Amino acid sequence: MRTLPALRTSPTAKHVDRLMRGVLWIIALGFIAVLLIFVGAILKQGWPVLNLGFLTKMPETLDAGGGIKPQIFNSLYLVVLSLGLSLPVGLGAGIYMAEYAGKGRALQFFRLCIETLAATPSIVLALFGMIAFVQTMGWSFSIRSGALTLALLNLPVITRVTEVSLQSVPRELKEACYGLGATKLQTILKVALPYAATGILTGLVLTAGRAFGESAILVFTAGTNTSGQFPDFRLTVPGETLSVHLWSVTSDGTLPDAREIAAGTAAVMILILLILNLLVRFLDRAIRRRTR
Amino acid sequence: MNDSSESTLAATKPLDAVSGTKRIQPVLPVFRQSRLHRLADRWSHLLFLACSLLVVALIGGILFFLATRGLAAFFPLAGNTGRTLSFSEVFLTTDWAPSSDRFGILPFVAGSLAVTGLALLVAAPTGILTGVFIAKLAPPWMRTLMRQVMDLLVGIPSVVYGIFGLTVILPLVSRTWLTNAPASGFAISAMILSVMIVPTIVSLATDAFESLPPSLDEGSQALGSSRWQAIWHVLMPAAKPRLLTATVLGLGRAIGEAMAVQMVIGNNPQWIALMRESTDRAPFLRALFTPAATLTTELVQELPNTAAGSPWNNVLFAMGLLLYLLTMVLILTTRRLGRGQEA
Repeated sequence: MRTLPALRTSPTAKHVDRLMRGVLWIIALGFIAVLLIFVGAILKQGWPVLNLGFLTKMPETLDAGGGIKPQIFNSLYLVVLSLGLSLPVGLGAGIYMAEYAGKGRALQFFRLCIETLAATPSIVLALFGMIAFVQTMGWSFSIRSGALTLALLNLPVITRVTEVSLQSVPRELKEACYGLGATKLQTILKVALPYAATGILTGLVLTAGRAFGESAILVFTAGTNTSGQFPDFRLTVPGETLSVHLWSVTSDGTLPDAREIAAGTAAVMILILLILNLLVRFLDRAIRRRTR
Repeated sequence: MNDSSESTLAATKPLDAVSGTKRIQPVLPVFRQSRLHRLADRWSHLLFLACSLLVVALIGGILFFLATRGLAAFFPLAGNTGRTLSFSEVFLTTDWAPSSDRFGILPFVAGSLAVTGLALLVAAPTGILTGVFIAKLAPPWMRTLMRQVMDLLVGIPSVVYGIFGLTVILPLVSRTWLTNAPASGFAISAMILSVMIVPTIVSLATDAFESLPPSLDEGSQALGSSRWQAIWHVLMPAAKPRLLTATVLGLGRAIGEAMAVQMVIGNNPQWIALMRESTDRAPFLRALFTPAATLTTELVQELPNTAAGSPWNNVLFAMGLLLYLLTMVLILTTRRLGRGQEA
């Protein structure tokens, strides 16, 4: 570290200071502008397409005027399924890391694995899902292949959130519980988890948003087709989601109104994500109110 | 856990008993302790351990499955129905023409590095500066606003970024700067990618600056430094390891991003040859707007069209394996960087 001139502020330093403050403000405002332009452009393009027919019609394969009804269903269905698969495992792993693993090598190793899984590109997870579920298990492009692979994307986030939320439980609370004669398991289930629940729920909603927007994984595991029925709860049929639909209509180019459909789909996705974001903010505020 | 419905926190009952009678009764234990509870307590950690071990197994499983297919390109394994390729012809040649049996993946490696490098060139400085701004300079309302902006930016799906690039930025750039020549290529991909990875860098950089002891800041200002001098000469060096970690994680996100880049980069595996042939006067600028391809975009583009077991298919999986190994190296790098920091 360089020694600073004690108590001597040159005019240049003052100018630099003012200049850099200005630069920082401009960068920050620039990002706000980027977001506004982005969301504005997507909504503006999609707005003319958005109507009840678009949301409730089946998609067309060759003609204009198709809707996105099954894609909306598949998106929500896959998010729910993948969260249902990854939540128990993520909770379990998070509990182990926060409460049982101690502070030593084991915890470091588990953390390393979680970080690696979290940093693994989704296209790599997609390849894994394609080999393991689509080909080796012989499930072809289906909802179940998609849900299982998507669960891999959620797992590290849920684990991390569970671990962090459990660590934020005040020690006194747990000690008081032990003092009342509870076993460790009872303390975790009755005191620590309920306390951490709001934090975990926030993480869960964020994870849902990520899974909802994921496309690379699902292109290779859930396919780019729908079963043609609605609602179709079968796990063995291909299930194209909104984000995959958005990608496939633009890259296929067989639909005459691909542009409009893509614009409308993007707008629907942005709207759903904005609602999710409000939900996260609401939960976040609930946490702060309680911990204050 | 099956015992959870049984044991109830019976705190109210003993308390009533205490107030009812003068004599203080032993109120412990409030939690019921049947044999079942003790058994559950003793063995439940195995269940939690199993969940953790599943994550470890997944890391290994992904490596195993990718390796069986990716390495089949180079060795006569079960998954190989075509000829085996040599490492040098795959990793060291720039000629990608699978239909005429030439599998050089260098264009994609170079493409990934180029687009990631360009994105980091924009995202790392702006992200770190935004981190300083949020942690040290911004008024509270701006701080909350910036956090929400970053949350929204990170939540936008990559296909939506892609469609924005495809329908807004590409036509705009092509019309205004390039006299209607197609604008797809590194420049636009990197531009979109930098917006996608900036939230990662910002949030980690903000954490880095916020976790510095306030005495650093106060001390340098007490010595008469300006706000910016304190940031530049004291806080930045102190936060350096964690800022590097932030950059490395941003790099990881950028190199693995597939869909958004695939939609705007132009998907041209022959981009190196194309650039060699071009006789442009500004080759660097030309390169920025040459349709190109990266590891991830090529996977998205070609994997659905290839037959399992063919060398083409196996080389694509080898590219996936390369990405996965790269992730591991990056994570280990962040570990190494963080080691000096965690005290």
